[in-house]
Amino acid sequence: MSVKTVSYEELIPGYEFPPATYELSASLVSKYLKAVDSEGDGFVPPLAITACAIASMTGSLSLPSSAIVIHASQELEFFKLVPIGATIECRTEVAQKITRGKMSMLILELEVFNKGREKVQSGRATIALPT
Amino acid sequence: MLTEIQEGKALDSVVRHITQEKINLYAEASGDFNPIHVDESFAAKTPLGGTIAHGMLNLAYVSEMMTSAFGRSWLSGGKLRAKFKEPARPGDTLTIIGKISCVEKKDDISYANCNFECRNQKGETIVIGETIVKVSSDKE
Repeated sequence: MSVKTVSYEELIPGYEFPPATYELSASLVSKYLKAVDSEGDGFVPPLAITACAIASMTGSLSLPSSAIVIHASQELEFFKLVPIGATIECRTEVAQKITRGKMSMLILELEVFNKGREKVQSGRATIALPT
Repeated sequence: MLTEIQEGKALDSVVRHITQEKINLYAEASGDFNPIHVDESFAAKTPLGGTIAHGMLNLAYVSEMMTSAFGRSWLSGGKLRAKFKEPARPGDTLTIIGKISCVEKKDDISYANCNFECRNQKGETIVIGETIVKVSSDKE
């Protein structure tokens, strides 16, 4: 299945990236824990969930091959424990798009829900793209 | 887990060594294959001069420190605000330190406000920020 992509130029405040669903399987969580050098504690690490939310956005954003994307800041709020094996839905929206000189900044709002439609996490990411 | 929640209390620090292999593993786990993280020849030609770790990898270490200190309170009720100041690079050793800056009570619920910093082996600040964790409720 192909993912519909959007170019950076097409992004405007209010643009919603296609929602993405992830099953947080034991193998996915184990892969994440290995990558971050952590033993885990029986639940999905909240930052693994954020990583899914960010991946759902970057996966559908088409950038020039020479583009450097730098994470400038991150805000997060966690609302619920997420058990291993849970399914989540990630929603990302462009809150602001700022261009200052040779630097472009994207401010994105992230929201993650569990299968029962309860919000498990929200956040705000600032991404810098030197042009 | 912390047994004592009081202003000035230091959290147990976390130390992690960054390698290209770990960055590649994180790219696979997160699905973020931006070439600035994983393509050494591409990254060498950019103003950054080489690959850098994902900001979210550095932040995962901060979350690890918070989880060790506050357990489920962090996982299900934590708030974080972070600024990425400098990139972490392969070969860096990161030390994440934090302390409780104040304990506040709002509507019978106590919250621990913490400051944290992630530094490399040269003492440069890589990530800096604050967290808030609900630590107790008089109603519980």
